[in-house]
Formats: sequence, structure tokens, C-alpha cells
Amino acid sequence: MKHKNGAIVIGLLAIASLVLSACATPTPEVVEKVVTQVVKETVIVESTPQVIEKEVTKLVEKVVTATPVSKTGGTWTISISEEPETLDLQKSAMALTASIWRYLGDPLIAKDFNGEYVSGLATSWEASEDGLTWTFTLREGVTFHDGTPLDAAAVVQTFERALDPEINSPIAGSLLGPVESIEVTGDLSFALTLNEPFAPFLENLTDSGRLSILSPAAIEASGKDLGRQPVSTGPWMFKEWVTADHITLVRNPDYNWASEFVHQGPVYIQELIFRIIPEPATAMAAFEAGELSQLSLPASDVQRILDSGLYEMFYYLRKGVGLFMEFNVTAAPFDDVAVREALNYAVDKQTVVDVALEGLGEATYGPLAPSLRGYWDGIVDYAPHYDPAKAAELLDKAGWVLNEATGVREKDGEPLSFVLFNAPISTWESSAQLIQAQLKEAGVSMEIQTFEFGTLLEKLKAGEQQAHLMGYTYATPDIVYLWFHSSNIGSGLTLSHYNNPELDRLIVDSRTVTDWPQRTEIYKDIQKLIVDEALWVPIYTQYYYIAIQSNAADANVHPDGYMILNDAYLTE
Amino acid sequence: MGKYLLSRLVQTIPVLLGVTILTFSMIHLTPGDPVTIMMGERGATAEDIQRIRDQMGLNDPLPIQFANFFWKVLRGDLGESLRSRRPVIEEIVERIPQTVQLTVAAEILAITLGVTLGIAAAMARTPLLETAVMAFALLGLSMPTFWSGLLFILLFALRLGWLPITSTDTLQGLVLPAATLALPAAAVLARMTRSSLLEVLRQDYIRTARSKGLSNRAVVLRHALKNAFIPVMTIIGLQFGGLLSGAFIVETVFARPGLGRFTINAILARDFPQVQAIVLIIAVIYVGVNLLTDLAYAFLDPRIRYE
Repeated sequence: MKHKNGAIVIGLLAIASLVLSACATPTPEVVEKVVTQVVKETVIVESTPQVIEKEVTKLVEKVVTATPVSKTGGTWTISISEEPETLDLQKSAMALTASIWRYLGDPLIAKDFNGEYVSGLATSWEASEDGLTWTFTLREGVTFHDGTPLDAAAVVQTFERALDPEINSPIAGSLLGPVESIEVTGDLSFALTLNEPFAPFLENLTDSGRLSILSPAAIEASGKDLGRQPVSTGPWMFKEWVTADHITLVRNPDYNWASEFVHQGPVYIQELIFRIIPEPATAMAAFEAGELSQLSLPASDVQRILDSGLYEMFYYLRKGVGLFMEFNVTAAPFDDVAVREALNYAVDKQTVVDVALEGLGEATYGPLAPSLRGYWDGIVDYAPHYDPAKAAELLDKAGWVLNEATGVREKDGEPLSFVLFNAPISTWESSAQLIQAQLKEAGVSMEIQTFEFGTLLEKLKAGEQQAHLMGYTYATPDIVYLWFHSSNIGSGLTLSHYNNPELDRLIVDSRTVTDWPQRTEIYKDIQKLIVDEALWVPIYTQYYYIAIQSNAADANVHPDGYMILNDAYLTE
Repeated sequence: MGKYLLSRLVQTIPVLLGVTILTFSMIHLTPGDPVTIMMGERGATAEDIQRIRDQMGLNDPLPIQFANFFWKVLRGDLGESLRSRRPVIEEIVERIPQTVQLTVAAEILAITLGVTLGIAAAMARTPLLETAVMAFALLGLSMPTFWSGLLFILLFALRLGWLPITSTDTLQGLVLPAATLALPAAAVLARMTRSSLLEVLRQDYIRTARSKGLSNRAVVLRHALKNAFIPVMTIIGLQFGGLLSGAFIVETVFARPGLGRFTINAILARDFPQVQAIVLIIAVIYVGVNLLTDLAYAFLDPRIRYE
């Protein structure tokens, strides 16, 4: 009843203001209205999800008059340094694809600026008594970019596709957890049943970069070309992909299902262009020349741009460890944990931060970044720090003796040398060279081999490497499953090829225990074990500085580490 | 002239054949089994490997493999990219226009600038002009393109705002990258033109022409230039290949989606079919350009036509 009255009042006000605005000088009128809604909240009580109904009184502001200067229009250009291997979000292993999909798709559950879950494509969700079956109700009136309607069948089809072994999804599939079955229960409702409790479940559903819904009609029509012309429900639609040059998204004029923390209705920016610019200096020059609306600043330019005061700047700590050296524990010489541990003492992380990142980052000591929930801050003291003497001691003990003539350690006539696989990312390349010099001091000879990113991932999965450099971006500590569980060896991201039932057990526990204090303890054990086994030499996590062009307004940083552009517009 | 043209055309056939053989051998000359290299150890079972070997015809004797390869090349089938599974010829055709635009623009700029400066230096009355031109030539030769490219961006695009940086489909967007690419080439041509022209101007027949009463201008333009241009033509022909490979660097600096970046990515990705196809196509372009150069000779110097 209350809703109906509210709607009528607002409707009348809208009409009235339209009439008034026709006569008077148009000024935006803000109407405040108090609305009482019944909200269903899912609360974890004693390890079981409970659904509580609460009456929440909210102050809702609605702008009912259109401002005379239309904010709609304009081109927002973003530069990216590589090209996605595919825009099929279920097949891609690149974080880049996910970041483009934030604008192409919608999450089932959205996360607002405070990190709270609010409705996305799903208006309500609840768990069964045992916490294993989740029922979702979808919003009405949502359509795909090709005009077909979004219904529960489409969502179920998308999720089943993510789980389909034919698709072999590197990331998207595993985000849903141990799924037993997914069923359509109504035109706009479906139920997903898990084999066992999966703590990251709801969190993962907020990831529109990987779990947006694909149009069944498009899946049918495009087949394997879906990756070149994706179709979803988001505020922008795919327009074109000119290979090696740019990807263009265009405004979705029918978009009417935005989450409550951004404005309702279609977005303002008409075209969103992702320009591929591999050279950071060129991108910087292009931004300053006004050709880009938004730029992730190269470290060397941050201070200069900050000082200039010309641009709005955002910064946030990367959600993930930006750079680490990872060992393939099945390949010599890294099948010996002593050698892996020794290298942890031989690398001076702070120097790498100071040189490669110009100081705009922090040294990391474990597999989780400080910005992730579940991070154990004791890891800094627990893990090895730069100590060349200790490194030498460990290597000597492991039988690797320094050959004075060559400067390289030897054991049974074999030199302690290896090849590091790397990608052509500028900060990675400079870091690799720094590490090479540091390891030389320790008597370890390292060669660097660079591969294009997609190829690099393939080779690492196949286990062709002895060691490699890598970085990850992920919003939750559940990255440990993707990166360290033995089931992900070969097909997924367990690139260390490390297989330890003890670690597997801890990881599974971290996903099934839903009580956070307990989970934190488990994550602490996981981090300790990974450091004990020296699977990595963690190096740094960086600050991302994003500069926004002077004619660009109302862009914001989302807590998950990307720019929200729903309210953004260009001022000239 | 017709006979000359025919004979030159016939001469390109063994060259093209040789290039094809070399490109074909690339995959067999590299150490290791080609299929393993291509597949990685991607959990390929013995059956998979056999199947792929059959598919690629690697079990046939070498001459037959080559014949198949040759036949496919003639039909324009250069294989499929390992990564994208699209026909390589498609991917290359998508990108060639950008590179060709850049290279042609750079060549035109280089010839215009280089030859003009070279003539100016040779005809200079004062030593000042001559020194200036030679200094410019030295500078142009010494600056690496990735550096001069960035310098041009900073000066002309950022400071002065005359030209765009990342525009890849407009004429204005072509100016800076073409200029960057043309600079070293122009420098070489300037020096070459100057020395060649000076050499020619010393000849007896020039003295004859002058003593016949022809103006200096007529002497230079009608008689000297044509002859001076022959060695310059050789350089231009050779340079075109150099410009093509220089385009790789310039394309990266200016973010242009041409063949250059494509090649770099193909190499980094160890995508054999792509790399093979590029090598073949670039070799064919070289041969074509040199053919044109030879024909230009014949036009310029009648002695060559009648040999």
C-alpha cells in the first residue's frame, strides 16, 4: 500500500514539475521523500545463514526535473596496455577482460560504496536451513542488449555454461563453488544447490567482471565467436573491436535496472572506448593532450601529475599481490624447499619497490595482499626478509657451493641457474632485471625469457617453467583456492604445481566455514604454510593512481578496485 | 624495355622460390620437434600428437610436405594462428593497410626531404648551408626511432598541440609517426644525393652542357639529376625494407595496430604459423620493391635497358 502511495505522489510531482519547468527557468528540483521498505537481509548467525526481515526507513532523493544541459553524450576513453585474448568472460583468464565486463554486464548481487550487498539483477536471495540451497528472485523488465528478456532460464544457462567442462573456464566457473545443481523454479526465480557450504558464494556473485549473464540467443547465434561480440545486460553494449587498436562500447538506452547507489536509468556517457596503447609514455602524453578521459598513471608520472593540480586523482591499494616470483616445485632446482627459502632471503623487495614502482607501493611478504580481508598482518614478521648472509648459509647447507671462478654456486658439477618466464609488462621487466642482479650476488644465475601474456599462462599451466613472475587482482582471500588448490594444477592457476593434501584441506575449510573469525584463523594457517613451503617470493603490491581528465565529472572508485562510471559525464 | 621487364620478372622467380623454401624450413630447422614446440606440453597425449602430425602432414616425406606448403601458399592459404584459430592471411590483411600507409608516407617524406636537402647541399654557394645539412643528416641518423618518436610527441602534440597522438585513421595522426620513421631515411638520402650529385657535376658531359650555354638550372635538372639519381634509387629500394622493419618500433610507440606490433606479439607468443606467414609476406614485398627499383633504373638510365 505504502509503495503505491509513494509512486502516485512521485508521479504527480513529476508531472507537476515538468509543467512548471516548461514555464520557469529550469533548475534541478530535488524532492525528498521518506519511504519505508521491507528489506530481507541475510545474516550469518552461528555459522548458519539466517534470513531476517527488517523494516527499514530510508530517505530517498529523487531528482525530478531534467537539467537543461543534457549530460548525455560524449566519449570516455580509457587506455589499456594489452589486448584481451577474448571477451568471453567465462573463457578468459585475464583481469583485463573482467575490468571491461564491469561496464558490459551486471552482477546478480551488487556491492555499494560501503561494501554492503544490495540488489543487482537479483532483488532477493535466501538460503535454505542447511545453507546449501540458495534461491534467487530476479528483477523484472531486464533485457539483454539484443532485446531478448532476462529470465531465470538465461541465468541458469549462463551458470551451467561457466561450469561446463567444454568451456574449461579458468576462473569464472570456480567462482560458483561446488555446485550440485541449478534449477529454474519460476519465470524469474531459480535455486542453486551446493554440495557443501561455500563461504565465498555471495561475495563472488558480486563480481560482474566474471559472472555477468550472457544472452542465450547470442550464445546460440555466435557460437565460438561470442568472445568477439559479447551480449549481456549492462549499462553499455558492445559495439566494435578493432584488433590491436581499440574496443568500443556504446550506451544502452534501455538500461533501467541500475543498483540503488548510482542513478537510475541509462548512463550518460555515449561511448566508452578502450584504446590499446602498449607504451606507457605514449599513454601519458595522450592523456595530457586530452585524448584520454582516464588513465592509470605510470609510477614515474604520479608525483608530477599530483603536483600539477590539474586533474582529479583517485588512488587505492591494489586488491591483490602485484608482483611475486613463483617456483615450479616439480622442476629442479626448485624441487628443494631449501633453495626456494634461500631465494626468499636473497631478494631485496624494498629496492624493487623503490626502483620499479618509484616507491609507490609496499613490499609484500605472503600470498595475500594487505587490502584483502583475511590478511594476517603477522606475516610480515613471520616471513623471510632480505638477508644475504642467511641466503648463503641456506644454500651452503643445501649443498650449493660457490665456485669462485664463475661466481655461481654449484652442486655435483651442476650450476645453480634457471630461466625465469616473464611477460612484457614494463614494471615486471624492470623488476626481473633487479632480481637478476640481486640473485647474482647470492651466486644464483638467472636468465629471463619473455612471452606474450596469453602464451605465458599456457606454458605455466603446462609446467614448462622453473620459475616465473606473476601478479594477481582479486577481491577476496578465496584467491588461495584458485592459486593453490591441487585441483587447479594444469587446468587452472595453481602454477606452482604444488600438491599438498594438508594445504588442500585448509583451503577447503576456508571455503566451508562461514564464520569470519574462524575463517581468519584458517587463512592465517594457509598463509603460514605457503611461506613455510616458500612457494613464492612475494615482492610488492602497488598503489594504483587514476587520473581523470579535467572535463570528466562524477567518476568514482568502487571498493572492489575499479572506476564506477554510471554517474559520470563530460562537461564539454 | 619490354624485354628488360620480362627478364627481370623471370629473375624474381628463383628468389621467391628460395624464400618459400627457407620459410618452410624454419619450422624444421628450429631444435626440437615442431609439434611439441607448438603444443607445449599441454597434456598432449601420444594420440593427440600423432593426430596433429597427420593433420599438418608432418609424417609425409619432406619434398611432399614442401609441395603441399607451396601449393597452399599459391592459393593464399597461409595456415591458422595457433592462438586465435583464425586464418593468418585474414589477420595480416586486417593490419597491412596501417603499415603500408605508414611506410609509404614515410618513404615519400624521406625522399622529398632527403633529396631536396641533398641537392641544396650540393649546390650550396656557402659552406654554412652545406654544413647545416650534413649536421642534420648526422643527427637524423643517430637518433633511435623510439626516442625521436617520443620527443616528437612531447613537442608537437603535447607542448604545441599541433597534432594528435593516438589517432590511427586520420591523415594528421599519420604525420608524427611518418616523420619519425622518415628522419633516419631522409638523412641517408640527403648524404647520398649530395655526394652522387657532386660526383656527376664533375663529369665531362656536364662541362659540355654548360659550355653549350645551358643555364645552371637546366644543367642540373635535365642532365645531372637523372644520372645522379641512380645510386640514390638503389638506396631507396633497400631502404623500403628498412622502413618496413622500423615501422615495428614506431607502431609500438604510437600505438598503431599494424603489422609491426602483430609480428612482435606473434614472436612473443611463439605462434609459428603467424611468424612464418609474416616472413614470407615481407620477403615478397622486398622482392617486389626491388623489382620496381630495377625498373626505375631502366627508365632513368638507357644503358641498363639495352644490356
